[in-house]
Formats: sequence, structure tokens, C-alpha cells
Amino acid sequence: MNLLKISISGVRGIVGATFTPELVVNFAQAFGTYLESGKILICRDTRPSGAMVRSAVISGLISTGCEVVDLGICPTPSMQLLLTNLNARGGIAISGGHNPEEWNALKFVREDGIYLNALQASELLDVYHQGEFNKVPWNRLFKLRERNDAIEHHLSKLRQNFEWEAIRKRRFRVAVDCCNGACSEMTPRFLEELGCNVVSINDSVQERFPHDPNPTPSNMQQLRALVKASRADIGFAHDADGERLGIVTEQGTPLSEEWTLAIVTEIELSKQPGVVVTNLSTTQAIDEIALRHGGGVIRTPIGQAYVAEMVKEVGAVLGGEGSGGVILPKTQFTHDSFAAIGSILEFLALHQNKVSELVDRIPGFFMIKRNLASSPSAIYASIQELRSSIEFDAKGSTVDLSDGIKLSWPDGWVHIRDSNTESMIRVIAEAREAARAEALADWAQSTLRLEDAHLNDQ
Amino acid sequence: MKPIRTLKISISGVRGVIGDSLSPTLLTRFAESFGTYLNSGKIVVGRDTRTSGEMVKHAVFAGLLATGCPVVDLDICPVPTIQLMVRKLGARGGIAITASHNPVEWNALKLIRSDGCFLNSYQAEELLSIYHQGDYRKARNHEIKAVKKNSQGIPSHLEQILKHYGPVLWKGRRLKVAIDCCNGAGSLMTPELLQALGCDVVSINTTPDGIFPHPPEPVPQNLTDLCQLVKESGADVGFAQDADADRLAIVSEKGTPIGEDNTLALAVKFLLRQEQGTVVTNLSTTQAIDDIAQVFNCRVIRTRIGEVNVTETMKKEKALIGGEGNGGVIFPRINFARDSMVGITLVLHYMALTASPLSTLVEELPRYYFVKHTLPCPSFRVRSFLNSLKEIYFREKLDLTDGLKILRPDSWAHIRSSNTEPIMRIVVEARNEETAQAWAREIIAMMHDE
Repeated sequence: MNLLKISISGVRGIVGATFTPELVVNFAQAFGTYLESGKILICRDTRPSGAMVRSAVISGLISTGCEVVDLGICPTPSMQLLLTNLNARGGIAISGGHNPEEWNALKFVREDGIYLNALQASELLDVYHQGEFNKVPWNRLFKLRERNDAIEHHLSKLRQNFEWEAIRKRRFRVAVDCCNGACSEMTPRFLEELGCNVVSINDSVQERFPHDPNPTPSNMQQLRALVKASRADIGFAHDADGERLGIVTEQGTPLSEEWTLAIVTEIELSKQPGVVVTNLSTTQAIDEIALRHGGGVIRTPIGQAYVAEMVKEVGAVLGGEGSGGVILPKTQFTHDSFAAIGSILEFLALHQNKVSELVDRIPGFFMIKRNLASSPSAIYASIQELRSSIEFDAKGSTVDLSDGIKLSWPDGWVHIRDSNTESMIRVIAEAREAARAEALADWAQSTLRLEDAHLNDQ
Repeated sequence: MKPIRTLKISISGVRGVIGDSLSPTLLTRFAESFGTYLNSGKIVVGRDTRTSGEMVKHAVFAGLLATGCPVVDLDICPVPTIQLMVRKLGARGGIAITASHNPVEWNALKLIRSDGCFLNSYQAEELLSIYHQGDYRKARNHEIKAVKKNSQGIPSHLEQILKHYGPVLWKGRRLKVAIDCCNGAGSLMTPELLQALGCDVVSINTTPDGIFPHPPEPVPQNLTDLCQLVKESGADVGFAQDADADRLAIVSEKGTPIGEDNTLALAVKFLLRQEQGTVVTNLSTTQAIDDIAQVFNCRVIRTRIGEVNVTETMKKEKALIGGEGNGGVIFPRINFARDSMVGITLVLHYMALTASPLSTLVEELPRYYFVKHTLPCPSFRVRSFLNSLKEIYFREKLDLTDGLKILRPDSWAHIRSSNTEPIMRIVVEARNEETAQAWAREIIAMMHDE
């Protein structure tokens, strides 16, 4: 199994196996060379390997003449926001995000706070593969600088974006699970400033992850229990670096991560009709919500950079992905769990609503996500094979080949693509009827004929 | 001639030029090799003041952490402080990030074992074997430790010296001491040490920013500022350190450098006149050491060049004192390392004990004239150079322990390849200048013919 993944989502691997300090040093050198030096912000999540990766990144960047500003442990969106404010040339977020604890990753951010897009990522890879990095002599090396105001800066931006006083007056009781990740300091503080009675678990940066950090219903069992026990108005779950948000209703129902964007879309489009940008794999509910509010949907390939660039280009009201990432341009052009929390709490406060009432307004779809882990060779071969057979016979579907293979019928769709972050094929099927979604997923899985695959249902 | 390559991976560690050969990848790999070699034990890391120190330090941290080592970060401090702290903290080893006396654009890793000594040649070979095989230990996520900052290095080192030697009075008054720390690691410790020893201090170049005002090797041509300071301030003595404060050069109250060989000679004489003991030094160090030891009926043992060769022999022979002619004094009772702070302490106490001015103490030392030359020489030519010299001098008394040493009554010549740079070092010592210069010229001429 190849556990190193180099893609538009950065460089990812397993520490102690593929994610070696040399690899990290070389990628930092490549990034410093690619940006032709300049000021670079770095931050990390709470994984124990972060200390090793941080040093490797610092060394590689300094050696190429970059002025490195280390923000320490802080949410990735806090770094991205400060980056644009400081007019830095770029940033590196050291975080495996939603991946399990043994993973780590470098995520490369450009000067506008958005991740490198596909073209830029491939240029960076060319520098990496060529292996000729900028080498700066002793008298042009910058000193490492450290700052600890990224969270403060992020909070002050959020204060301008939401109706703080209205939220404060509601005195919400909010349960939160930070997974002992990079949000552990900021989220309780943010919620307390919003006048919430905060019941938090897993908010120690010293501790290991209590569960996988992907905020899916199966990883929100602890939070679900906490919401019930504390009779909270809502529960929020973070991934390790504050990009993905999971929600538990006041009734103790953990929502699919697909619903985070759907809920925020419902909120934002009800205030202001316009365009929402999301990727090909995200729930069809987005289209129905947009239709209801007289808005439009633009679909992009999978990857935050595609969505963020499109949000910026078309002046969308919001964007995001079915993974739980929400982009609200008034805060910034990047997945920002804090902005999503602000939007939801503001709506609940202004409309005296419960979150379950909001959920009732989201059209019901049944979605199945299957991950077929396999070797890279098998993955690409079987996708290619399916692609050619689809060109021959599309089974009456509308075909979209802009990222993997997406087949849509009037009553459902299935999307088959290789993961940006792991060596696996993702099969996502959605329909109004559960049986139909199951059938679509089964059909895709059998058609792919991945002999060595093992299935892990989410 | 082709440009000399700047990377040197040898038993002295890894050394190179920043922005040229010493890349972060190479440093990380070296640190991974060391962490693997030391079985993921605790490792103490310190550095001199060079501007590249931070880049190198983080490359080293990345490599050590990746192999599961807990890392103690002393940051900027003298190399002998790191060696002392490795022992004090019971660490498995240490890494000193310093190119010592090399110019500002260089940096290097010096690798320290649990006893505070550098790796010997066998251990260094073993380490290099791991490095070249590239099979490093890979700690899993939860096995990766944090870096711990430790600011106790210099205070512990001061305490260790002051436990043995207290304040000095010279003819009933305080001594005035001039220092030049070359903006190196000594800047953070030497002024404080001198104050604790009851001296008045006048200093230059004590800003630890790594911008060297002159080349950091404490040889006479780099000491002009210190000589002037001594004269202008009327100091009783002047001390100069290299960037990592292991080597010490001395300027007399007359404002003249006494020659770095005499640093060790003074320290040896001071100690031998108080107690008997064995002296260990390397093959290239002045004959004056033997003359002094003979007076006190003590033994001198000569070793190959390299601090570890001296310290290991000292350990085996339970030597009283040892060191190297380049200004490195090793006094095991305080620290098993070349330690300029110890050198300073011993010389000041020698002055106090005898109530003599430094120039008088130097005049009382056996007088030799010393010539040192270096010639660029790629490693593949070293052997043929040495062989041709051996053929020429085959009738004389030769010592082949390290390169070639030719021993004559009252004079000697030593020719060897450097451990740290791609050069040959030629050292000649004789009773007078003419003899030494003539012989050195003769050897260099033969090497040019080769």
C-alpha cells in the first residue's frame, strides 16, 4: 500500500513510514524556491509528529532564503487569514486535517490565502522533482520569527462578520469536541465570547486524538452523548485543524458531514440569493436549496482550491464541500469552521430557531460513501477502464468526466474518483431512496472490479 | 586547479559551506543517522552564533525527532558547555552545531558521545555506515518526542569551574582582562566568568550575532584588535576565543600574541608545578610541552590529531592535563573537553600564584619557533604526497602515527591531511626561525614538484 500522496491537497503520508523528514525538507525547499523566497507563515496541528515536521519545514524554508513566521499550534484558517493581512508570500499548514493521527501533511497556501490550485501544485512538483533548490549564503539567511496572535486576529475578524450581540443574548448552551486538535484553544474561547455556556470535551493540545478527527457521524458519538447529557442547543465537532465541521442537533442526532454545507447554504441564501459553489461529490440537496431561494449552483472538481477560486471568481455567496468545509467570503476564501459556527449561531439567534427545525428544511437525500482502498496502479487502471466503457455506453446517464466519473440519472447519481488524500477510490452515490443509492454504489463497486480492494464504509 | 569541494564528511563530523554544500537534507540525514546510532536516546543540541545556526538546528531537530530521540535544546552556548551538559543530563549523546574556527560561511555538526567526548574514528565510521546505507530508524507518530529548551548550560558550566577555582588577586589587586569573543558563543559566558573570578573586564566583539569581525581562528594575524585593546586599556592580559569557545589565544600585557601553542604550555606548567601527572597532547604540538614535563619529571604521551584522540588517551592514562597546540586546553577535573574558559581560569591563577606579569611567564617557557603552512590537496593525492616524502626522509627518525612526522634533535616537521578541510597541513618547529623556515620551504618545494 502506497501511503504517500502528493496531490492538489498537498503532500500527505504516514509518519514513521513515508512521511520522512527528508521529504518534508525537500518540499519546503521546493516551496521556498517556487515562491522565490519572501515571508512564509507556518502553523501546525497537535499531532506529536508536528514538532518534527515543523523543524524540517523551518530548515528547508530558511535555507532557500525565506523569512519564516511560525504561528505555532493554531487552526489552519487562522493562519490563512493572518497571511493575507501580513502580505506574506505564502504559507504551509502542517496538518493531516481529517486523516487519522499517524498521518501528517503539508498544505501549501499562496498569498491570497487559498491553497495552490492544480496548475500551481504541478509547478511546485516540477521544482520538487527537479531537485534544484535555491541555496542562500550565510549573510542572506533570515532569522525565524514566532507570533502568537493568529487566533486573536481571527477572532477580531469574526467579530466584524456576525451579529455578536444578538448571539450573546441567546445564551446558547453549546457542546463542542475539538478532538484535542488545533481548535482546542480557539473554539471554547470563541464560543465564550459569543456568550455561550460551553461544554467542551477533547480540548487539550497535549493529549492524543480520542477518535479519528474526521467529523462524520461515527466519530461524533462522544459529542452526541455530551449534547444529550448537557441538554445543549447544538454540538460542534472539529477536525484536527479547523477546516471541517460536524453538527449534532439539540435532539442528539449527529448529522452527516454533507449537511454542514447544506445548512449554511440554507442560511446564507435565505439572507441573500446568489451562487453557491461546491464540488461534484456534494449532496444534491444544495441544488434544491439554491433553487428554492432563486440561486444557482456551480460544481467544480474535488479540492478546496477549485471551490475557493470559483467562489472568488464568480462572487459567490458561499462555497464548500460535502466533507464539512464551508467558505464564507466575508470572512475569507477558505474552509473556516469558525465562520460556519458564526453563521449558524447567528441564524438560530435571530430567528429563535432550533437546529433541528433548520434540518427539517433541508431536502432529504440518502447518500452512501464507500472508500475502496487499493494500490495506486489498480486504482488508476480500473478508473480508466470504466471511463472508456462509459464512453461506449453511458447507461442513459448524464456523464461528467471533469474529476473522475460522475453519472447522473433523474433519480440519483454516482461519483467514482480517486482520493486526493489517500490511496483509495471513493464511490459516492446519492438518491432520494436508500435502496436506489445502495444499488448505484453496488453497481459502481462491481463494475470497477478492484480485486485487491478492501472496503471501508464511512 | 579545480575548485576545492567544500563538503567534508569525515570522522570529525560533517562540515560544509552554507548556500553551497551543506544542505538541510544532508544535515537531516546525518541527524537521522546519529539518532539511529544512539538508539533513540536523549540528545543534547547546542550551537555557536553563526547566522546559519538556526537553519542547521532545525534540520538536526527534524532528523533526531524522526528517529524518536528526545531532544534538549541548549541553543547558543560554547561547545565545552554542550559536552559538559551531555554528561550532566545523562544524555546518550550530543550534537554541537559549529564550524569552530572556520570562516563565517561554514557550518558543521560535531557529534558527542555520552561521556562528553567526540566520536572516535571507529564510532564515526559506524555512524557513516548508517548514513550511507540510509536505513534510519523511523519513529511512529506517537513515539515522536518534543524538543525541550534548557537554559541551564552556561550556569552549570560556570558553577563547575568556580567549584574548583575562586577569584584571583594579583599582587593584591584585581586583574584587568581584555577579551575578544569574535561575536561567538563565548560572548554569553566569558564576561560573566571573568567577573566571577574577580577581574575587571574590557571587551570587544561580545555581541552573539555570528557576524564575525575577523576570521574566528585565534591565530596572531586575527588578534590585532585585541592587541590594541590590551595596550589602550592597560590590561594585564588579553584572551581571544574562536566561534565555539573551545580554543584560546592569549595576548600579553605588552600587547603581543604569545602564540597559540603557548596556551597549553602555560596551563601544563601551572598544573605540573603543583602536582605530578601525565600530559597528553597531539603530534603537532610544541616540543616545549616535553621540555616542561621533563623538568617536573612527568610523562608526555603524543596522539594523532583530533580532540577525541587526546581525550581518549587522557582517559586511559588518567592524565592530569592535556590538549592541543591550537589553543585547546583539556583539564579533566573540570571538563573532559577543550575548554577556553578552563584555559582562562588556569592562566589567571598561574599569574596570581607567581605574581608575575604574563610576558615573564611566557619568557620562562622553552623557546621554539613554529611555522604552519597549508596547501590545497584533494584527498586522492594525499597518499602519493606522503609516500614521496617518506622516500626522501627515509633515513631519519619517522613517526607514521598520523601522516608523517620527522623528528630531529631540537626540531621536527609534521605533514598530514586535515580532518576538516581538503588541505595538507605542514608544521615545522625548531629552536630558531631560520631553521624552521628553511625546512618548511624545502618540504613545500618537494610537494610542488610532486
